[in-house]
Amino acid sequence: MATLSSLLEYYYETMQEALLPLEEERKRIVKKLQTTAFYIGLGVIVFFIVLHKQMHFSPLQASVFSVMIGFLIFMFVYRHEKAGFTAVFKDQVIEKLLYQIDASLIYRKESAIGEQEYRRSELFLEAYDRFEGSDLVSGSIAKVDVRFSFLHTQQKERDSKGKERWETIFQGLFFCADFNKAFKSKTVVLPDVAERSLGVLGTWLQGMNVTRGSLMKLDHVEFEKVFVVYGDDPIESRYILSHALMEKIVLLQRKINRPIYLSFVASRIYIAIAYTKSLFEPILTRSLLEFSYIKEYFELLNTAVGIVEELKLNERLWSKR
Amino acid sequence: METFLIIGGALLFIFIVLYNTLISKKNQVDNIFAGLDAILKKRYDLIPNLVATLKEYMLHEAGTFEKITSLRSQALQPSLNAHDKMALDKELSSMLSSLMVTVENYPVLKANENFLHLQHTLHEVEEQISAARRAYNQSVTDYNNALEMFPTNLLAGFMRLEKKEVLRIDVAERENVNVKNLFR
Repeated sequence: MATLSSLLEYYYETMQEALLPLEEERKRIVKKLQTTAFYIGLGVIVFFIVLHKQMHFSPLQASVFSVMIGFLIFMFVYRHEKAGFTAVFKDQVIEKLLYQIDASLIYRKESAIGEQEYRRSELFLEAYDRFEGSDLVSGSIAKVDVRFSFLHTQQKERDSKGKERWETIFQGLFFCADFNKAFKSKTVVLPDVAERSLGVLGTWLQGMNVTRGSLMKLDHVEFEKVFVVYGDDPIESRYILSHALMEKIVLLQRKINRPIYLSFVASRIYIAIAYTKSLFEPILTRSLLEFSYIKEYFELLNTAVGIVEELKLNERLWSKR
Repeated sequence: METFLIIGGALLFIFIVLYNTLISKKNQVDNIFAGLDAILKKRYDLIPNLVATLKEYMLHEAGTFEKITSLRSQALQPSLNAHDKMALDKELSSMLSSLMVTVENYPVLKANENFLHLQHTLHEVEEQISAARRAYNQSVTDYNNALEMFPTNLLAGFMRLEKKEVLRIDVAERENVNVKNLFR
């Protein structure tokens, strides 16, 4: 894991200067988008007048129609411009920050954790209709094989009016690694929403969740408050979730302060950290020359890379050596 | 008549649910105890190998080895009840851990591949035992709670179910090993 001070040094001594051309490119794109928006705005007004006066649309119809066309054209230009910038941004910012943290890791901006691995984790049992991911990091951290990437899975739903919409199942960082103990059963640790909001009734409801295996009550008060555990072998679940590991998971949760999902399947650990936005994507309106902006990406990568050390996954028991 | 049948049916249903809850909790305790037993057996299987390896080097500890071997054969007797089994296991655990501390006086052992393998396997089994103890205690707590809580307590009295004891873990065992203190 790298420290913030090492990033500061690297940023001001090497990175900032290298980012100048990219910053110029960003400014050019923003300007281009502003100009495009202006002309599209004019176009929308002209189109509205034509629709309303010449083709006798009602004002409401004409405005909806013209604004929609204008918006679609703008989004097309925006996406096209942003895609090119994002690719360069990932090479120049994300990859370099990652190498600054650990130069032995491999970064592939267009790859992601596969569907098979996502399903094997059993963290999210809902059937998905759209599976997207990017920014795969793989390699060995303290001799532990690790892979993580951004993932976004969605489900197509229809509301009462039959209108189609996409519901997010999971969006965020998906991490998997070799676990330091050998085991055969399956244990799933989920954020405890029911117990926190419903109390005893919540615990009772959790026990009724038949798709997840049996509910495990663990002997760590703090951990029990934040998480709910399901598993198919009570002894093995406790073998995996030792007191020390539960303590570390609680600390990790506090540090990240986001919903964390963990599962232990076939001697591997899967961790999903939920976010409400895309990760590793640039924000066009923010300057690359602002340290605080770059720092956010660094901290995200550092957290992911740091999981191995945080959970002490490198301290292996004999059978896993 | 219909009302009577509905009430009777509902009472019978409640009775079946409560009865099954109690039986499943009782069986869960037995099940996990069997699991714990299986892991303890794993440790007993390690002991002859461990003793054979250590005997060659630790000539002054002959008494300890004899004690460990005799405890192992006592623990393997099928007639033992759970309470005695746990008492023997506790004694065996403390003897093994003090033996592992004494090992530090024999640097030559630390170069012995066979011993290192045994030591690590023993450590792993100890972790499994501790997990099984925790699982057992939780199942006993669930079972005891059902025996005391309303409405299952009403039925438990009729079924003559008795409370079970949780396995006490010594304070010394619960604390993390302080390496500094060990080598003072």
